[in-house]
Amino acid sequence: MTLTAPKTALPPAPLPGRGGRPGRQTAARREALTGYLFTAPTVIGFLVFVLGPLVAALYLSLTKYNILTAPKFVGFDNYVRMFRDERLATTYGNTVLYVGAAVVLINAFALLFAVLINQRLPRVLTYVFRSAYFFPYLVALVYVSIIWQALFQKDTGILNYYITALGGERIDWLNSSEFSKVSVIIVDTWRNVGFAMLIYVAALQEVPKDMVEAARMDGANEWQIFRRITLPMISQATFFNITITIIGAFQIYESIIVLTRGGPGDASRSVVMYIAEVAFNKFDMGYASAIAVTLFLIIMLVTMAQFRLRKSWVNNE
Amino acid sequence: MSNAAVLSPRSRSGKRGSGKNVRRRPRPGVGKSISVALLVLGAIGMIAPFLWMFTTSLRDASQAYDLPPQWLPSEWDWSNYAAAVSGPVPILRNMFNSAVIAIAVSIGMIITAPMAGYAFAKIEFPGRNSIFVGLLSSLMVPAQVTIIPLFLLMRTFGLLDNPLSLILPGITGALGVFLLRQFFLGLPQEIIDAARMDGATAWQTYRLIALPLAKNAVSTLGVITFLGSWNAYFAPSIFLNSTDTATLPLGLVLMLGPYGAGNVAQVMAATTIAIAPALIVFLVAQRWIIASLTQSAVKG
Repeated sequence: MTLTAPKTALPPAPLPGRGGRPGRQTAARREALTGYLFTAPTVIGFLVFVLGPLVAALYLSLTKYNILTAPKFVGFDNYVRMFRDERLATTYGNTVLYVGAAVVLINAFALLFAVLINQRLPRVLTYVFRSAYFFPYLVALVYVSIIWQALFQKDTGILNYYITALGGERIDWLNSSEFSKVSVIIVDTWRNVGFAMLIYVAALQEVPKDMVEAARMDGANEWQIFRRITLPMISQATFFNITITIIGAFQIYESIIVLTRGGPGDASRSVVMYIAEVAFNKFDMGYASAIAVTLFLIIMLVTMAQFRLRKSWVNNE
Repeated sequence: MSNAAVLSPRSRSGKRGSGKNVRRRPRPGVGKSISVALLVLGAIGMIAPFLWMFTTSLRDASQAYDLPPQWLPSEWDWSNYAAAVSGPVPILRNMFNSAVIAIAVSIGMIITAPMAGYAFAKIEFPGRNSIFVGLLSSLMVPAQVTIIPLFLLMRTFGLLDNPLSLILPGITGALGVFLLRQFFLGLPQEIIDAARMDGATAWQTYRLIALPLAKNAVSTLGVITFLGSWNAYFAPSIFLNSTDTATLPLGLVLMLGPYGAGNVAQVMAATTIAIAPALIVFLVAQRWIIASLTQSAVKG
């Protein structure tokens, strides 16, 4: 830790006989070598497990490949085929619905709770609330989905118990084509709201208090303060949260497997479930790769669009 | 959800409090108690499912579905845990598999990511920035795109149904490099230069000076990586296909059975076991996890 030995060697000129340009060059070269060595594991991992597979996926998407025989190049056939694939349209439609619901619901609830929690509350309360809202985010989506699918059961679930106790009718949460989607959205919102809330809370704490106080002195009401000061000041957090929710919701997968298995029919199936089915049940690897590439392009475009938008509407001090 | 009507009361109460006459301290008692009530309601909604899980895990299987639901355990019957552990799905084995993978991945990550992060922050080498940007762009590549080639790769090397298929891709990653680079960028250059002047090699400077200072960032990365691996479902569900190699999330889905036909009390007992690590991490480390997760988002 303390490096005492080298320190005693300080007084004499460091590394005598190595001054001048050649010495500096070797030093620079040695430094560069060190840089490459330090980054080598990460770069190799990136090449083998991300970049290589990405390029392979792009190639496979142009082939017909069933694992048993070698991939056969078919050009853009797989991409053309997507336009006639009704199941793909259904699953993409569902996924877009999940994305829209996630962006609106997660951000609305997260911002609401963040604003409420950011008031002057007793410290214990703040701590308890923050913990309660954040905890589901740390638990695997599979596990919380297992709990929720028990709560959602039509005849034995406690959700319907309370609904009927309040005079409502039993809802077929998991097996009706509308409510299966609602169930997926509920679980997704419930699990992710706490993380988004923490991001908003952190941003809210950076809003200058004297600015808010000054606006209040000038007679602005709470809504105006929120709309004109708070919201613009936290736009970077909003940007981050929206990007994260979009990317996350496009990849929604295991909650649906546990809750509805995609059913009834394809009513709640997401596009990722469809990719997995085409690739690993039907072994239509080329077509599955092509669908996966569209998902990649969408996520890339969303990310890049958000980065560009960020410049125009995010207040960067 | 029950909170749907919540937005409007909040803004209304705000307006009412700061009307023309009352300008000094808007929203005295009423606004605050409404918001605390809303927060309590929300918190109950977040915790209730876990409470129900735990209570159900302690109930006799035949009563597990009795209504009205019980929210607090009336008896402490741990037999469901014993039954879950000795059932047809080897839950303990699955848990061990999950632990091996998560620990290996975390150790790998806290070795590789700080090294790379340090190099990208403090060592000059040609191509440094373009390599870093390339790495970062891998955050845009969803796992679903690479999963098919990865599956073929693992199949070629005979690694399917083998924990290595999850460990090897897991021990490096751009997110950790990014987090640690951020940390090392904040480290004063004088510290590094002083060590180098004293004759320390690059490795010594890193290992003895920089890395110890990054202890908190590295621990956070370790915890995040561990939980990410412990909670993973997608890749394990594709690479692993026998009950003996399955990780815990896969085991639990097997136990649940199609259409939730499994014994609910036992499933909830197993789920309680599965959630325990997250709970422990949460109790021990929530403060710095929250800090490091939110910092990177807000301060960018």
